[in-house]
Amino acid sequence: MTAPVIRVDGVSRWFGSVVAVSDISFDVHPGITGLLGPNGAGKTTLLRMMTGLADTSTGTVTVFGEKVRDNPPLYRRLGVMSEHETVYGFMKGREFVRMMAKLRGVADVEAAVDRAIELVDLADAQHRPMETYSRGMRQRMRLAGTLVHDPEILILDEPLNGADPRQRVHFKHLLHQLAADGRTIVLSSHILEEVEELADTVLLIVNGKLAASGGFRAIRAALNQRPYHVRVVCDAPRKLASEVLRLPSVDALNVDPDGAIVVLSRNVVDLQVELPRIAQAQQVRLKRVEPLDDSLESVFGYLVEG
Amino acid sequence: MGSVYLLTLRQLSGRWRIVIMTVLAAMPALIALVMLNSNEAPSVRDFETAILSAMLAGSITPMVVLAIAGSAFANEVEDKTLANLSFAPIPRWQIVVPKLLATITIAAPFIFLSAFISSYVGFLADMRAVVAVTVAAVAGVALYASAFVWLGLVTTQAIGIGLLYIVVWEGFFSGFVEGVRLLSIRHYAIALMHGIDPRRFAGSGHLSLGLALLVSVIVFGGFLYLSIQRLRRMDIP
Repeated sequence: MTAPVIRVDGVSRWFGSVVAVSDISFDVHPGITGLLGPNGAGKTTLLRMMTGLADTSTGTVTVFGEKVRDNPPLYRRLGVMSEHETVYGFMKGREFVRMMAKLRGVADVEAAVDRAIELVDLADAQHRPMETYSRGMRQRMRLAGTLVHDPEILILDEPLNGADPRQRVHFKHLLHQLAADGRTIVLSSHILEEVEELADTVLLIVNGKLAASGGFRAIRAALNQRPYHVRVVCDAPRKLASEVLRLPSVDALNVDPDGAIVVLSRNVVDLQVELPRIAQAQQVRLKRVEPLDDSLESVFGYLVEG
Repeated sequence: MGSVYLLTLRQLSGRWRIVIMTVLAAMPALIALVMLNSNEAPSVRDFETAILSAMLAGSITPMVVLAIAGSAFANEVEDKTLANLSFAPIPRWQIVVPKLLATITIAAPFIFLSAFISSYVGFLADMRAVVAVTVAAVAGVALYASAFVWLGLVTTQAIGIGLLYIVVWEGFFSGFVEGVRLLSIRHYAIALMHGIDPRRFAGSGHLSLGLALLVSVIVFGGFLYLSIQRLRRMDIP
């Protein structure tokens, strides 16, 4: 296997007594790598260390074999878009991208600016002050500033924040195109589906730890096997409960004092099929069926405990 | 470096900041006019102590510079835009130096005019004294700028801490405690003024011109060095 483009080796970071990132190691290769995790999981802290913005408490981060911290020349090969959406509001979009090009030592500045703005499809708005932009437009112009020096590595923190559906489609197409050209792209998100659509490899971060890594299918399979709690409200809970409990997909069942049934199942697909069938057969009227732990946090929690 | 310099000029020349600086810079000249038109015209020593030392060098110059230099990095830290500059593949001094120069570029004209007008009025167009006061005031701008740019990098409370420093250190202690004058930008500026025009200010200096020049260079260079090191080592938000 080829040498990794980015190597994160035993990296931890703590702020006082709070451990934000705990002993994480992984390699990043060309293609799109998604950093997935709930809000507050440590993704941004990890990305900040991967880009040299923040120091590690322990461990090392290397890019192309060189340490990234306090190594400005490396930024010629690196394009970073942070999660913060603040822009220089007094600047026009084109001025911003031009400034970024000059700061990054681009040879043909105007041609590079044209190309970058064209890539993010904002040519029409390039001469407007950025304070007049929508959130999505600001993100795209910031992306143009990140791409203007044609970096080999792109590190993007929550890049789809504020983007509307059309912009999302454009952005995903753009990233796939950049990855196909051989670039290494690392992007973070707290939205499972977003990473699923974009990334070839996923790094799952929970509570500052690397919970899982690898192809998305393997992680999806693990997710599908996790136990689900489903709350069922109906007009005859005891009657329905006695039948549902016989299903092989049901691990446990509890009838709450308020009459709602809480079912624990490891095969939620089977439960989805069987529950209406039993209700119909028993002439029980289902009023409400809802998953209790479908949040991303609970999904990650399961994977971490697993 | 030009991009960082131009960016900082635009960032720091907001309308309200310019209004505040204009009001502050106008005060010494206005008070000089009032003093000279009063029944008892002040002596050179009184004028120097009240207007040049206490007001111009000890209050107005540091406050004007603080309003600019304290924000040179602090605004970018607060807005989280500093990363735009930090990801540039250039040595950190190429970020700090243009920011410092932009700070001086904006603050110096205000202090230059303030010092020139108040000394021109106060010393009845004695140009050697006017040059001494003006050069010393502009040197004070550079020294305070170097210190306050660094302060803006180490704390988000640069304005508050800077004001405290101006009042307590430059305003209070350096006026009473002899040894503190060796560590006071206000007194470096006064010593430069005395050195340039010893005829007008003879016998009233506390530091020699040579020592004042030496410590001025050390202070300016020292804070510049600390700012560069700070930018290299700090966690960029």
